Amino acid sequence: MAKMIQKTTAYERFVHWTMALSCLVLLLTGLGFLYQQELGWLNTIFGGQHLARQIHNWGGVVFTISVIMGIGIWLGEALSWTKEDSEWIGMLGGYFGRDLEPPPQGKLNAGQKLVVMAVIFCGLLIAVSGFLMWIGPASKGAMLWGHILHNLAFLVFAVTVPVHIYMATAANPGTFRIMTRGDVPLYWARKKHARWVKETGGE
Amino acid sequence: MADTYTKRALSGVDVGRKRKGLLVTPDLCIACRACQSACKQWNRLPGEKTVNRGSYENPPDLTPSLFNQIHFIEKKKDVGIDWLFVRRSCMHCGEAGCMDICPAPGALFRTKEGAVMYDKKKCIGCKLCLAGCPFNVPRFDENDKIAKCTLCADRIANGLSTACAKTCPTGAIRFGSRDELIGQAKAGGFNVYGEKDLDGLGVMFALKQSPDVYGLSEPRYNGTIAFWDNLIRPLSVAGLGVAAAAALLHYITVGPREVEPDDKPGEGGE
Repeated sequence: MAKMIQKTTAYERFVHWTMALSCLVLLLTGLGFLYQQELGWLNTIFGGQHLARQIHNWGGVVFTISVIMGIGIWLGEALSWTKEDSEWIGMLGGYFGRDLEPPPQGKLNAGQKLVVMAVIFCGLLIAVSGFLMWIGPASKGAMLWGHILHNLAFLVFAVTVPVHIYMATAANPGTFRIMTRGDVPLYWARKKHARWVKETGGE
Repeated sequence: MADTYTKRALSGVDVGRKRKGLLVTPDLCIACRACQSACKQWNRLPGEKTVNRGSYENPPDLTPSLFNQIHFIEKKKDVGIDWLFVRRSCMHCGEAGCMDICPAPGALFRTKEGAVMYDKKKCIGCKLCLAGCPFNVPRFDENDKIAKCTLCADRIANGLSTACAKTCPTGAIRFGSRDELIGQAKAGGFNVYGEKDLDGLGVMFALKQSPDVYGLSEPRYNGTIAFWDNLIRPLSVAGLGVAAAAALLHYITVGPREVEPDDKPGEGGE
């Protein structure tokens, strides 16, 4: 067994799973409402329109809490942008070629930092607009802007989440273990997050 | 079901002959508000406690238990005031923004007389219809379910007139075939507000002055919400699809990035 290094705590993994599962439920019920004619059957799976609405609203509460906890966990790291991060973005992480080697990355690579920023910003936007429509004043302006902002934020999630899931599973074998067990082989971490390994003194 | 969602919601209704409506003539209204009471009586809506605001207008706006309200316009003139009474209620638009945006199938639907009707059992209480309404009409009961004028759908289906029109002592609210009402108003030398707008309003106003005088804005389909709906609905699915397709394409072309134990550490260019 290779020497392992701990990348996430149990608390981080718990928050990440809470966010992921609530996000999935919100996505399915939300699509059922947005595409009532084409995907209305999704809401049947969730027990019909009425129950689906309750699940969507209360699922939103769970998701909002996970976003707030996520701010404490990931935002600081995501905002510590470095020269290497810019280089990583410049070469698109080296993902569009087999022999490209991106510069050494910190605990989160530049792409992951962008995901954190997108999820936290749009997560707060989708939460605020959602609560505005749910418990805000029953006024025309509140409903109109709540609806528009909720959908705009959703648009960002619709693109970010599939890419994020692909990157953390099939595209980078071994990465998913960070979300299940939390530890990764040291050789893997040295390859993917060289700066972080050096800073934590893992070697 | 498709028809309840699209703007073609009036198809199937023989608009010329069967579509019913109300013709409101503010100049004939004496603000007795018998229509407010008759509406409450027929629809079994409770009275509400209000406060004196220095006007006879009462209550001041539509509520979940007031589907029909006489709005007072009190404007100072050089001598005396203009005292105008304008009925507020659901206008039963031909092109109904509320129906277009409603996510719950069957919660809002069109009766064969052309009224915009609702089914509280199917309403999920999301309140989006308010965002789609050009006239700020829908109100919501204690369970967040829509509450508004039904054009007395249960009365007119049985050949009766609406409660408000039946009780109106001056003919300021008249019920009938929409076409006949328009003809009568024009014969009387009135302009008809709502004849053609939004595929024709179910509730029209017979006016001698500009609609602005009565605080009636030009009926307009809520373009903002339609724009976002027409843009974001396709974009979000396209975004989801393109992201997933791009991931698959990446996997079969560039392929995953494996890390082997004997790889040299990623020190990059440093």
